Amino acid sequence: MKIVVAVKVVPDDQDIQVAANRELDYSKAHQIISTYDLNAIEAAAQLAAAHGATVTAVAVGSAAIDDSKLKKNILSRGVDDLVMVADDSCANLDAHATAAALAAKINEIDDVALVLCGDGSADNYAQQVDVQLACALGWPVVNAATNIEATDSTATVKRTLEDEVETVEVSLPAVISVTPDIAIPRIPGMKDILAAGKKPMNMAAAPEVPAETIEVIECLAPEAADRLGNVAEASAEGAIDNFVAALKAAL
Amino acid sequence: MKAFVLAEHTDAARGLCAAARTVADDVTLVAIGDVAVPESCADEVAKIALPEGNAVENAAETVCALADEEAPEVVFAEPTRRLKIVAGRLAAHLGASVITDVTALNDGVAESMYFGGLANRKMKAVGKAVYTMTCANYAEAPASGANAVKEVAWVEPANAVKVVSREPIVKSGIDLTKADVVVSAGRGFAEEEQLDIARALCDKLGAGLGCTRPLTEGVDWLPRETYIGVSGLTISPKVYIAAGVSGQMQHMVGCNTAGTIFAINTDKNAPIFKQCDYGIVGDLKTVLPAITEAL
Repeated sequence: MKIVVAVKVVPDDQDIQVAANRELDYSKAHQIISTYDLNAIEAAAQLAAAHGATVTAVAVGSAAIDDSKLKKNILSRGVDDLVMVADDSCANLDAHATAAALAAKINEIDDVALVLCGDGSADNYAQQVDVQLACALGWPVVNAATNIEATDSTATVKRTLEDEVETVEVSLPAVISVTPDIAIPRIPGMKDILAAGKKPMNMAAAPEVPAETIEVIECLAPEAADRLGNVAEASAEGAIDNFVAALKAAL
Repeated sequence: MKAFVLAEHTDAARGLCAAARTVADDVTLVAIGDVAVPESCADEVAKIALPEGNAVENAAETVCALADEEAPEVVFAEPTRRLKIVAGRLAAHLGASVITDVTALNDGVAESMYFGGLANRKMKAVGKAVYTMTCANYAEAPASGANAVKEVAWVEPANAVKVVSREPIVKSGIDLTKADVVVSAGRGFAEEEQLDIARALCDKLGAGLGCTRPLTEGVDWLPRETYIGVSGLTISPKVYIAAGVSGQMQHMVGCNTAGTIFAINTDKNAPIFKQCDYGIVGDLKTVLPAITEAL
């Protein structure tokens, strides 16, 4: 049994700067694993350990994602091997094209029972690659998974929706996207990181991707909301009283 | 132009039909399962009866077949987990991608958040447009139509999801999206017991208690549905009191439309102090009880 985890590589949002013209400046931002994909990787690793399965991570993106530290990071988290497409023809793909590219690579892997996706990517957070990927593969899809029990042929998934928890059953292979609650990402140790460098990293050729379905016209930081910024040290004379007076006035 | 509306809740159905009416002269509300259909909201109400044991998403093929027949140019879907799947399958069928969580729509240009609100992105669908959006901007807009009912024939799904059981989520405490005053607790709270001083402030103000992501994911001190920020709640209370909250944009996105923002933090360089109206630099263990006392 093989479990595939789809991993998105994004610039670290902690290091994205806003330029004077309100455009985003990524020049200081390292390439990292999109936060919620860490939980998907952990869920895949835990499921694989329970079922004697192996985990393949698949990542598709621009040439910049071919970063040795990042690849070792992915492989130090209970992942057995990595298939990566790092090509500028795959930069900033929309959900439809991302799914097509991922499906092309997943179809080359034998015996895949499950593809796990994270809850949503740090940049788009569209929560759409899971369903588009399922369509491209012709498989069932379940999102919002907080628990997965798998057999050889089925998965029973607990999904936490807005108003209810729904338990569903699907036949395998299937695509399942998981919420961050499903598993807390491990902190890889030095041994894991060293071992990761020896694991297979397959830099794959870029597949043909469909034309873009969403045209981005503009992407600008919002203008800062006008706030008073009236800040005082707690020890300052009357600080608490003034704060409380402002609070009462605002109620 | 023809529009489809997909909604799970009645108020969303009405609001999104009103939104659809601003761009389309022909609106079809696609009602899956037992959605209560609002009065006079669409030209057509396409009812899809859900056979026993079927997940709502299993209706996607039926929706696609209906789209083949009626050829909508634009689709509006409520941003629920289930409908994100239905809208996604419909988009894939149409060779499109869903533009999700649209906050504004003008002349076919949809706006939505990028990097959790670090930027706002304006986008246009190249072919057919499929959007998910809340009805928040259309609460007052008029929906209209004769609601002509059409019973849609069920198309058996190729990849069915079988429902085994459903359990309602028991929501704890105050609905933060409706609260006038919200106190939010961040990582400045070092121990779970310290939350009691935030609760005491809430009691005094009749406020709801929310939190940042680290307090619900991992430590589990507060229920997940009280988490404010990217992938959690987005709220606009009259008064927002951020206690021990550093002010990372992933959190602030969920509260930056609040009326007045108050902040308490030990670190005078915390980003929250650049985004608040009133701030106190100090230890919340002493400052919060002092505020509660003085109120």
